[in-house]
Amino acid sequence: MSVNDLDTNSGFPTGALSGYRVLDLSDEKGMLCARLMGEMGAEVIKIEPRIGHQARRRGPFYRDEKNSEHSLFWWAMNAGKYSVTCELDSSEGKKILHKLVEQCDVLIETSVPGSSRDRGLDYRTLSRVNPSIIVASITNFGKTGPYRKLPADDIVASALGGHMYLNGDPNRGPVRTTVQQAWAQVNAQAAVGISIALYSRGLNGGLGQQVDVSMQEAMSNAMDNAQQTWDILKINNYGPGVGRMREGQIGARYIYETLDGWVACLGYGGLVGLTADSIVDWFNESGEAHVLNSSTWRKRLSMMDIFTEEEQNLLEEVVAKFCKKRRKDDLVKEAQKRGAGWAPVYDPREIVESVQLNERDYWIRVYHDDLGESFFYPGPPFRLSETPWRQRGRAPFIGEHNDSIYSNLLGLSSEDLRTMRRRMIV
Amino acid sequence: MSPNSLQKPFSGLRVVDLAWVGVGPTVSKYLADHGAEVIRVESATRPETLRRAGPFANGQDINNSGYYANFNSSKYGVSINLKHPKGPQILKRLIAISDVVTESFTPGTMAELGLSYEDLRKVREDLLMISMPLYGQTGPWANYAGYGHVLQAAAGFNHLTGWPDGEPIGTGIAYTDFLVPHFAAFALIAALDYRRRTGEGQYIDFSQFEAAIHALGPTILDWTVNGQNQKRMGNRDPEAAPHGCYQCKDGEFVVISCFTEDEWSKFRAALGRPDWSDLERMRRKWSRLSEQDEIDRHIGFWCEERTAKQVFSIMRRFEVPCGIVKSPEEMQIDPQLRHRGHYWELEHPTMGKRTYDGPSFRLSKTPGELTKASPLLGEDNERIFTQLLNIDEEEYNELLVEGVLE
Repeated sequence: MSVNDLDTNSGFPTGALSGYRVLDLSDEKGMLCARLMGEMGAEVIKIEPRIGHQARRRGPFYRDEKNSEHSLFWWAMNAGKYSVTCELDSSEGKKILHKLVEQCDVLIETSVPGSSRDRGLDYRTLSRVNPSIIVASITNFGKTGPYRKLPADDIVASALGGHMYLNGDPNRGPVRTTVQQAWAQVNAQAAVGISIALYSRGLNGGLGQQVDVSMQEAMSNAMDNAQQTWDILKINNYGPGVGRMREGQIGARYIYETLDGWVACLGYGGLVGLTADSIVDWFNESGEAHVLNSSTWRKRLSMMDIFTEEEQNLLEEVVAKFCKKRRKDDLVKEAQKRGAGWAPVYDPREIVESVQLNERDYWIRVYHDDLGESFFYPGPPFRLSETPWRQRGRAPFIGEHNDSIYSNLLGLSSEDLRTMRRRMIV
Repeated sequence: MSPNSLQKPFSGLRVVDLAWVGVGPTVSKYLADHGAEVIRVESATRPETLRRAGPFANGQDINNSGYYANFNSSKYGVSINLKHPKGPQILKRLIAISDVVTESFTPGTMAELGLSYEDLRKVREDLLMISMPLYGQTGPWANYAGYGHVLQAAAGFNHLTGWPDGEPIGTGIAYTDFLVPHFAAFALIAALDYRRRTGEGQYIDFSQFEAAIHALGPTILDWTVNGQNQKRMGNRDPEAAPHGCYQCKDGEFVVISCFTEDEWSKFRAALGRPDWSDLERMRRKWSRLSEQDEIDRHIGFWCEERTAKQVFSIMRRFEVPCGIVKSPEEMQIDPQLRHRGHYWELEHPTMGKRTYDGPSFRLSKTPGELTKASPLLGEDNERIFTQLLNIDEEEYNELLVEGVLE
């Protein structure tokens, strides 16, 4: 593709992926991936059954009104896409899909391995239609292997992907990262795989290929150093509660209660290590450093001495008492001034109100014409100087762009469209 | 074109990687594992944090950290002391013959070294550069220190992870370190593709905080649209019953979830359709959702009489979404991951044969390949400085003596 192509194509012309067209047939495992590609400049067409994609029935809902245009899950994952309806199980639906594939660069699908062939979604068939097509198959466990047909959702992938073992509390067992992270992970990692395939295509004479993405593997890549800890030391890390896990041992607590919530900080808030003196000074200003304000203690804290369990409890208690009387944002500000990497524990409201994000004009107002209201959406996950990220508007209604896509892109006449509607294909 | 004649996706690209710890190195690992020549620039005067963090193989040593190794497969290593006045000059010469620079210093550091994007563009016009500190290049928190372990707190993961009656425990890991690199890598590769098509480089201001929030989209909208401030809910899900984690006879845990009526009916069959599951209040999902305590109690009893493997096998037979909560040990022998070849074993000069994570995706024609174990500190100095940069022997020795390459 040349510079000139960038001016004439679809999507928005100033994006890094401008000029590419993406067909999004995915469920929760691929919708965010396709959205990110759209925000990078690609034109993304979501294909749905006539009754709408099942993810439209996933909550939460706008004002708790459970209907297919009011799912906030749908809004978040599909903002800025076009929607066309097409019954892919019918042979005529497949024909339409193949016509679209001829004009697309990437197809993202998430069907259970073995079933996709029936729907004409397998790579072999699609690559005959368009040898340049990149087919991303995002599945629970990958296209091959003994688990490939197993049903799985977010929590199952978290468990079988090993990530969940590292969360939780020794007394209560494993806990899920409450909001769906297996989906978030596999979406983001699929976007990497697809962009590599696009780059590879440019290098290799326009040849497309299949990108086979596994949600289980995506989660297994979120295990920190636990895999290496097993490999080298034969020790299993596990969920350490509010402590920090290190080689099978639960270390210092990293979450402390404040007057108005919680803060997070490592190494007893920086009492241990390079920042020891400045943190002792800080606590000491209000007479709250207790015994730590002695040359012996300061020295031991700075050099990261080994502390007895009793001493560890003392350190924890000093930090805990200090935090309990203060507000989290004040604590974080002062700790950071002293070089210690504290952070507040924020809830969704506090994230939206964060000074850092607001100072950077992060939040994007998205207008919902049907409701006559605008809402704030998360802003740029990355800021590119020449090809800026761009939010592309609200999520589409079911089949909102049937007319424009089918007639403008595929050149179908209004008569053709009427016939397709009558036969219940679109 | 036969597969043999295909080029690796990033062959011919040279990347200077100044980033450290988890996020930056994971981004450049994608490039290295797919054919780019990635050169990690480090210094013994200020060793990369992970080189000093365990687990260590064959004794505690700057070259023996498994933590570091895993993020740095397929890369080369040089050492340059950037505090030495000649350090930044040498680095600039290397960047002049490179395509990409990745870094995650505190904002302003690169400019102080005379290595801001504007400075570097003068020696490499089409340079692509990404900066990826915690909070981005601007704003009141730009200089804030921290790690993924605490960024997960600012980004909402602590508040949303744990039991409703307990503390905001968050994940047990430096979670955002394992989330945001994928966003950064996507941005970088998309920008590379744009550069391939137009010849234009650019600069990417990446904030780990800003990317992480995209993993919470619907939860954020629930606040901005509905004014609902969601809370952690243990292993429950507002739309599934059951949806939980249960301890089995052997002490292992399994998870089971039923979102649809179909899954529920398969689940009932798997249990042998016990009476409790046929009670009026269990027949519809909307009413089951308020019976979760009772459902969990029954499943708890049922699991207590079986091993995790037995539960998994029964549920598998009945096609109920179920999984064993796998330990790191079990992950290494997981039949599916084995089949997929997910983990790579690579021979390291001082650590021996070690396990590395591979990418979660396979490209059918130009797949990723972990070509070598992680570099020793400064392992490739001689080749890169004398052969690639054409520094003659006299100057090279001078640099060594002056401590520029420490």
